[in-house]
Amino acid sequence: MHLKYESQLREPLVYGTKTYHDVTEDIVRPIEAKPSKLWYIGFYIAVALLLFGIYSIYRDVTYGIGQWNLNKTIGWGWDITNFVWWVGIGHAGTLISAILLLFRQGWRTGVNRAAEAMTIFAVMCAGQFPIWHMGRVWMAFFVLPYANTRGPLWVNFNSPLLWDVFAISTYFTVSLLFWYSGLLPDLATVRDRAKTKLRKHLYGVASFGWTGSTKHWQRHESLSLVLAGLSTPLVLSVHTIVSFDFATSVVPGWHTTIFPPYFVAGAIFSGFAMVQSLMVIIRKVFGMEDYITMGHIEAMNKVIVLTGSIVGVAYLTELFMGWYSQNKYEGYTFWYSRANLFSPYGWSYWGMMACNVLSPQIFWFRKMRRNLFVTFFMSVIVNIGMWFERFVIIVTSLYRDYLPSAWSVYYSPSIWEIGFYLGTFGLFFTCFFLFAKYFPVIAIAEIKYVLKTTGESYKGKMGHLEHVPAEVFAHSGHGHTIVENDGAN
Amino acid sequence: MSEKKYWQSFGELNNSEAYQQSAKDEFAEELPVEANDKGFLESATPRRDFLKYLGFSTAAAALAASCETPVKKAIPFVNKPEDIVPGVSNYYATTYVQDGDVVSILAKVRDGRPIKIEGNELSPVTGGGTSARVQASVLDLYDTARLRFPTIGVGADAKEVTFEAIDKAVGEALLAKSLNVVILTDSITSPSTKAILGEISAKYNTVKHVVYNAVSYSGILLANEATFGKKVIPSYRFDNAKVIVSLSADFLGTWLSPIEFAKQYAKGKKINEKKPEMSKHIHFESVASLTGSNADERYLHRPSEAGAVALGLLNAINGQTVSVSDPKLKNQITKTAKILADHKGEALVVSGSNDVNVQIIVNAINEALQSNGKTIDWSTTYNTRQGIDADFAKLVDDMNAGNVGALLIYGANPAYTWFDADKFKTGLKKVAVTVSFNPKNDETTQLCKYVIPDHHYLESWGDAEVKTGHFSFLQPTIAPLFKTRQWQDSLLKWSGSTSDYVTYLKTYWGNKVGGENGWNKVLQDGVINPSATSFSSATFNSSAIAAATAAIGSAKKGGKFELVLYEKISVGVNGASNPWLQELPDPVTRATWDNYVIVSPALAKDLLKIDLTNNGQADAYEVQPPKKVVKVTVNGKSVSLPALIIPGTEANTIGIAIGYGRTKEIGKSAEDTGKNVFGFSSLNAGTINFSVADVTVELTDDLYKVALTQTHGQYNTAQGNRTEIMKELTLADFKKEPNGILEDRDKELAPYGGLKDFEKNGTIYPYYDKPGIHWGMSVDLNSCTGCAACVVACHAENNVSVVGKPEVLRFHDMHWLRIDRYYTGDLENPKVVFQPMMCQHCDNAPCENVCPVAATNHSSEGLNQMTYNRCIGTRYCANNCPYKVRRFNWADYTGADSFPDNQVGIVNDVVLNMNDDLTRMVLNPDVTVRSRGVIEKCSFCVQRLQEGKLKAKKESRPLLDSDIKTACQQSCPTDAIVFGNANNQHSAITIARTENALRTFYSLEQLHVLPNVNYLAKVRNLDSEEKDEWLKDDKKEDKKAEPAEKK
Repeated sequence: MHLKYESQLREPLVYGTKTYHDVTEDIVRPIEAKPSKLWYIGFYIAVALLLFGIYSIYRDVTYGIGQWNLNKTIGWGWDITNFVWWVGIGHAGTLISAILLLFRQGWRTGVNRAAEAMTIFAVMCAGQFPIWHMGRVWMAFFVLPYANTRGPLWVNFNSPLLWDVFAISTYFTVSLLFWYSGLLPDLATVRDRAKTKLRKHLYGVASFGWTGSTKHWQRHESLSLVLAGLSTPLVLSVHTIVSFDFATSVVPGWHTTIFPPYFVAGAIFSGFAMVQSLMVIIRKVFGMEDYITMGHIEAMNKVIVLTGSIVGVAYLTELFMGWYSQNKYEGYTFWYSRANLFSPYGWSYWGMMACNVLSPQIFWFRKMRRNLFVTFFMSVIVNIGMWFERFVIIVTSLYRDYLPSAWSVYYSPSIWEIGFYLGTFGLFFTCFFLFAKYFPVIAIAEIKYVLKTTGESYKGKMGHLEHVPAEVFAHSGHGHTIVENDGAN
Repeated sequence: MSEKKYWQSFGELNNSEAYQQSAKDEFAEELPVEANDKGFLESATPRRDFLKYLGFSTAAAALAASCETPVKKAIPFVNKPEDIVPGVSNYYATTYVQDGDVVSILAKVRDGRPIKIEGNELSPVTGGGTSARVQASVLDLYDTARLRFPTIGVGADAKEVTFEAIDKAVGEALLAKSLNVVILTDSITSPSTKAILGEISAKYNTVKHVVYNAVSYSGILLANEATFGKKVIPSYRFDNAKVIVSLSADFLGTWLSPIEFAKQYAKGKKINEKKPEMSKHIHFESVASLTGSNADERYLHRPSEAGAVALGLLNAINGQTVSVSDPKLKNQITKTAKILADHKGEALVVSGSNDVNVQIIVNAINEALQSNGKTIDWSTTYNTRQGIDADFAKLVDDMNAGNVGALLIYGANPAYTWFDADKFKTGLKKVAVTVSFNPKNDETTQLCKYVIPDHHYLESWGDAEVKTGHFSFLQPTIAPLFKTRQWQDSLLKWSGSTSDYVTYLKTYWGNKVGGENGWNKVLQDGVINPSATSFSSATFNSSAIAAATAAIGSAKKGGKFELVLYEKISVGVNGASNPWLQELPDPVTRATWDNYVIVSPALAKDLLKIDLTNNGQADAYEVQPPKKVVKVTVNGKSVSLPALIIPGTEANTIGIAIGYGRTKEIGKSAEDTGKNVFGFSSLNAGTINFSVADVTVELTDDLYKVALTQTHGQYNTAQGNRTEIMKELTLADFKKEPNGILEDRDKELAPYGGLKDFEKNGTIYPYYDKPGIHWGMSVDLNSCTGCAACVVACHAENNVSVVGKPEVLRFHDMHWLRIDRYYTGDLENPKVVFQPMMCQHCDNAPCENVCPVAATNHSSEGLNQMTYNRCIGTRYCANNCPYKVRRFNWADYTGADSFPDNQVGIVNDVVLNMNDDLTRMVLNPDVTVRSRGVIEKCSFCVQRLQEGKLKAKKESRPLLDSDIKTACQQSCPTDAIVFGNANNQHSAITIARTENALRTFYSLEQLHVLPNVNYLAKVRNLDSEEKDEWLKDDKKEDKKAEPAEKK
């Protein structure tokens, strides 16, 4: 355990007078109790959505992509919009667990587990779209560079779509490993508390024989650091590569060098918004207000207003370049197809602007940052806005590109396109409900880690130190003792 | 046998220990399995081999469980027919004869099936050109809706009978009560058939032959009778004319002999850069037509003013006053007259009017311009249009009066096309013996008692004299598919002749062509051309002019709205049952599968409340397929159709195409497409009038979806004029600044290092040589008329799917080649340019590098290739194609998918019908039928390239231009498309590019995609003043656009 003194000015990360046991009890209780009615309702809705999604995909695979309303000019629509959207959401988890771990941000412990789970489920959802949007999905394995007998015919390493294959699968694997290795001590805790044989067995297998020995902890710590180190560049690279799908093309509105940072910022933006949506619900439903505190919510709202503004700057830069470059094709895309509210898709651009750039500015106010209702509402708005952003990028660029003769009729999704999207919500929430039921939604071990430094009761006991003059404290030579003694009380 | 022992080694001979050991171990090297004593099969699966076993068993299980694709067997011939070599096409010269049109063609026959029509280059009339309808006609052969056997009985009573039975029945019926027999036909161009008609007239004493053309040219025929004493149509020679003035004659699209005229017209439009000269074409019309869209100048007038315009021209040429009220139009007439008068002897005026008086005036104009014998040739006259409307009107009267005992109908369908169809139908009921030879159960055939369906022309023998002395022959290219019979055979039978038509035909021509050998030669060539090209004029008799002038003067004035009925280049009169024609976008409106009301932008603003100058309203109109429906009423008859706004239409005139609203009996494609508007035509002074001077047009609340394949028609946007796409200029400018286009290109490419060495300088990547063959195509936008023959040719050659109206509505059309139409200038009367757009086969193709599985890649010959069985359908290539020429198989359009039962309910009946076993016979076996989920696109007809290369290789000689013609190039009547090996200094493509270097441009060149298709800029024969007028409105728009940009 590292020794850390935290200023009293900082909010505690765990409220209440909690012992280690209390923490375990609070977090493991939902796993051991029978789920509430609300859980069942939510779960069934999620499964229903998932089934509808599966049927939508069945239609698409059996009858062709013509089940969707894409056309000869607009080759991608809701499919890739949703793909990028989900990948974006999948960014917060790793960012929280990896980058914040490296930056030693203690507040991550309250939210990292759920955020990481969200990441994994979001990436799973994202992955559905590039797979099922293929015209011949049964040939999808062609994108894998496996040894075959086709001579020189292999995957095309020039294609950003192939980069996607690698980027997403790497990201998914590393995120999964990171998440799971973090789960090990907690799964062991659940195992140790298990009352039935089956439970004991299953959690036993899942915890990989964790005993909590010093050696295990040491390896766990090293692995976390290594994986954090691996994930950090991935957080930046995944969305950078996703943005290459567009940036390396010739389509006006796609062919933009600003895309990588702009996409990464947008991804963090939407990822945090999604974390907010989920956390606000989880802390309420599981009664975990003490662990996911207003401080956590506020911290994430700060990230939202920062990234939202970065994205806003990117939008304005694009718009400026659309004019400044004097490229008539770019100019048309940015100034007519998008910025003109009265053009066929103008509404989507201004919807994006309103949701992503204007509305998050409300978080400049502390009161708003700490308002649960506003936070929840804004998190939904931001994700709607980020969906619009991807839709704007994809559809408004494609539907009117170089040759006016090929400009498309109005594109709106078919029921099966919508169904596919709803299906991924089904997948996401089915997974998330199961996660919330069977896994500790907060990292028990890590909360215990910060409990002694930044927990409310602990901090309270440190209060008197604030009155000890620095000189006295420093020269007493007992500073350490004082702390240790107090902690033992 | 002896106990001889054979040994392979000393070890074996001596049976050494080492040998025994090696015989036990089958494999010489040590096996990579964990050693144990029990031998190979008993060895444990070691950890290191786990993955191998896992992989093998997974693969084996996957293979065993994988879905089975149905196996279709191709059975070879037991005895190979003499002239069929599998995989090798035979070409037979024959003749397209339909709806009175006669075109000499070659039918490409593969394995006994005609699959493609090519033009016959030996015919001086068409010179190897074809039209969309000719190209599509091969599909009619395999039409599932063709009548398959002779029947007796009307409607539901119709029963299949044998030929003997029907011959007996008809023969008896005709003979029994010495009836008045009338043979009603389309124009008969066949000399032998005329002879047979003569024979049958001899057998029955009152046989009358009435010729009926649904789209009639009686006006010209009668006018020529009045002024020249000959009821014929002379040959027009557009190639001899330096000034062409057309008064609503759509001579490049539908009028009289469009393939021939397009070829002649293009001659005057091809530019020699060293001495740039071209013909000038001025077009007066009311509703935008293909020809009007090609004109250098198009002037709009109301249809009721057609006579006044002609008269005005005549008066102006003769130096008299022009009595046209509209000052703008008056000005235009005066201007035109001046140009005409300056070009006496090298001018031609044609009129599409069916009004005798107008045509008399036009004759007078041509006489005044000394066109006779210069641009009008009276030595050869057309046989393709012979019908006199008054004759048919009289027949209908006779029928109603009960004076017709027997009516034999061939190629005519008055129950659909006659303006007063009900009267015809009533009359038909009074005719005792009604016989139809029509190949389909069309509106008239349904009412006939005896039906003996005729062969399709590809199954027929025959001859045709399209113009005096120009003979063209038919020979069967396939055995009759059904129990059908040529109508000439029927006539011969009924006239008591024992000979069949083939024998009759051979006998008829035997001596004329020099016996059996001569006949074979004629069949091989397909044509007999007149030996000497004589050119003659005719004596003009001016006495009719006064009466005509008076008649025009007293013509009734038009009402608030006027109507023009026009013929579409695709469907025409009789093409509604052909899916290729239905799905062919009209070059002017870009719509498929329907007819509609064409309205001008001005009328749209008033009537539809759509203001095209308002961006929001224009966008909404363009991107939403449901269009407002208007109700058009003429004399109490009304028709409700959707309205399309087509610039280039007179403000208060509307246009509707004929040929739609057919009976569903003629095929799935005809069902529920459009409405029949023949009822709006009228018989006026003995000729059918296809315009109506006073109609009521009302807006209804209904909307109707129109399947358009192009929604936006301008390349000028508020953010800049996209001149990189298209280059057009005036002849005056071209003469003044011949390097103008090169300078433009240099300016466009300036940010990337300029035109010079753009290929190398425009990229950071290394430059590679392109040795060997490098395919290239050049499209001359000056000669391209937009006739769309190439689009259908491409359809037929490359097995392009028909997707049906619901899919076209969703922008899912599959055309590999499309003809883009762009407007510039004045919104009400813009200049139009057509740009054939196909895969540009970019050398730096943006589609290639984005495909994750390299399904589209570049050949060493510069082709952008598509590997269908590698494609996984991500559509990334289509997104990244700046030309948007890649097409995705959104559904199982072809039935080629391995998923069964996935078409019904997904694609419509038309598409299902295209997958019928019969219809599929039209497929080109050289071209893969694409399955669902893959991208496809123009391949430069790679199958033809391979065939041509092989041919040259077999003959051990270099490849020649003549070895290879792409389907679009072959079909083009104006030779606008040139194709070949650009690395060959002597090939046509190299010559086309070097000789036209000043007009050459590549569309979207600045993207550095390096297309292998170049275009030659469109040059309009306008002087600078006219150009200012043309571009006046563009400038206005630019100014308007600027503040918008700054906001």
